[in-house]
Amino acid sequence: MNGVPLTLRVIIVGAGKGGAALLELFTRSPDVEIAGVADVNPEAPGLRLARNLGIRTATDAQVLIAEDRADLIVDVTGDPAMQSLLLQHKPSHAEVMGGTSALLLWKLAQRERDLRDQLIQAEKLMSIGTLASGIAHEINNPLYTITGLSEHLHDETRPEVIREYLDEIITAGQRIAGIVQGLNAFARRPQAQDIGDIDLNRTLDEAVKMARRATVLDQVKVVTEYGAVPPIRGKADELLQVFLNLVTNAVQAMEGKGTLTLSTARDDGFVQATIQDSGPGIPHNNLTRIFDPFFTTKDQGKGTGLGLHIVRDIVTNYGGQITAESTLGQGATFTVKLPASPPLAS
Amino acid sequence: MPWGLHTKDAPGNGRVMIVDDEDTVRKVLRLTLTKAGYDVVEADHGGKGIETIGSDDNMLMLDVILCDIRMPKVNGLEAIAFFQQQYPSVPIIVVTGYPDQKMATDLLSRGVFDYLVKPVDKDKLLATVAAAMEKRLALRQDL
Repeated sequence: MNGVPLTLRVIIVGAGKGGAALLELFTRSPDVEIAGVADVNPEAPGLRLARNLGIRTATDAQVLIAEDRADLIVDVTGDPAMQSLLLQHKPSHAEVMGGTSALLLWKLAQRERDLRDQLIQAEKLMSIGTLASGIAHEINNPLYTITGLSEHLHDETRPEVIREYLDEIITAGQRIAGIVQGLNAFARRPQAQDIGDIDLNRTLDEAVKMARRATVLDQVKVVTEYGAVPPIRGKADELLQVFLNLVTNAVQAMEGKGTLTLSTARDDGFVQATIQDSGPGIPHNNLTRIFDPFFTTKDQGKGTGLGLHIVRDIVTNYGGQITAESTLGQGATFTVKLPASPPLAS
Repeated sequence: MPWGLHTKDAPGNGRVMIVDDEDTVRKVLRLTLTKAGYDVVEADHGGKGIETIGSDDNMLMLDVILCDIRMPKVNGLEAIAFFQQQYPSVPIIVVTGYPDQKMATDLLSRGVFDYLVKPVDKDKLLATVAAAMEKRLALRQDL
């Protein structure tokens, strides 16, 4: 075929489940530009997602097609009438993909999304594993105080010493209770899976708190330069995963020693967060690959190589951007830009 | 007595240094060890441990070191590297709350005598310290 463009401009017609799945897939494909999404229902999930991503939307497919900005029109409405309408009105150079071929593409997009969800889950489990060993450490120390002192109580007869040991045992028990309570509060956070307005400054603080648990050496100086930033519309869990990953990476890069600088600022309609470490930095040829799936410089079994890939995925899905900068010997800086939550219409 | 306080003829079972930042953990270890007849020296972080082992009147007077990993200032890994380089004949037992298989394997392959995870069973602790003392004696007799 002649003249296949380098960047494929696509219009999606039908923004239900299928259209939304395709939209997600296309936004992650570097050579695909989405010229627009159309659906008769203005509240169709794909239309809402497209609006969040700043992509052109319309409730009338003909309007989009008339703009003549697409090389390919993918019709996932499954409606034969729509297909003939599209074939009639499409610009001459544009192709229409509909019927079973569009259905097949939709199925593939859904499969891709399922796999991606599994990857996110795997990465989450990995960070839970790291977190668990950190928590074990926190609990094992007071636990040892309890078991150890109890053993010594066995053959202790002096009342004042017995009282002293008991006091220490009670304090250690209370410490463990505090740790467990903190974990429970985290696990049972309300609506962590629901979309809501998230305060990025709080998310960063929470990420640091969790990363402290998850890393071996907690001699990192944390400097925060938070601005008064508007909230982000998103899922608390996903945003926490993004920043926990970036903070953990930074701490690991510094091998537990150095300065971690976290800052937030408003940037037009976006909120910008930067995570800066004072570690050894990222070599230039790795800098272009760190977001690639399965790219890792960590030891076998220590990293899945999916962390930053998933981070970028989540950020892009929110219509945001992530960039990394580094000079060898001078640490690395990750900048995340996320669209500020639109103010509620009064 | 060039190679330490503890010789076969010396009274007591030997001297152990406990390096751990938690007061109550050091207390449990101290109680367990002193009741078993050991002399105990304490340090609340790696730097203090290095200072203690290097201070004049303690020079080479330690037989075994019990060392935590996660500590402020100088952490356990740094302290252990120093002990191993400067005092290769003093066995080091890691006593940590971190059940980290990879770290344990790494440390053991680098010559750490044993890796114990808190809470440590009293008998297990004493058996490990006794075995480390044996090794310490054997190492010194070779010199």
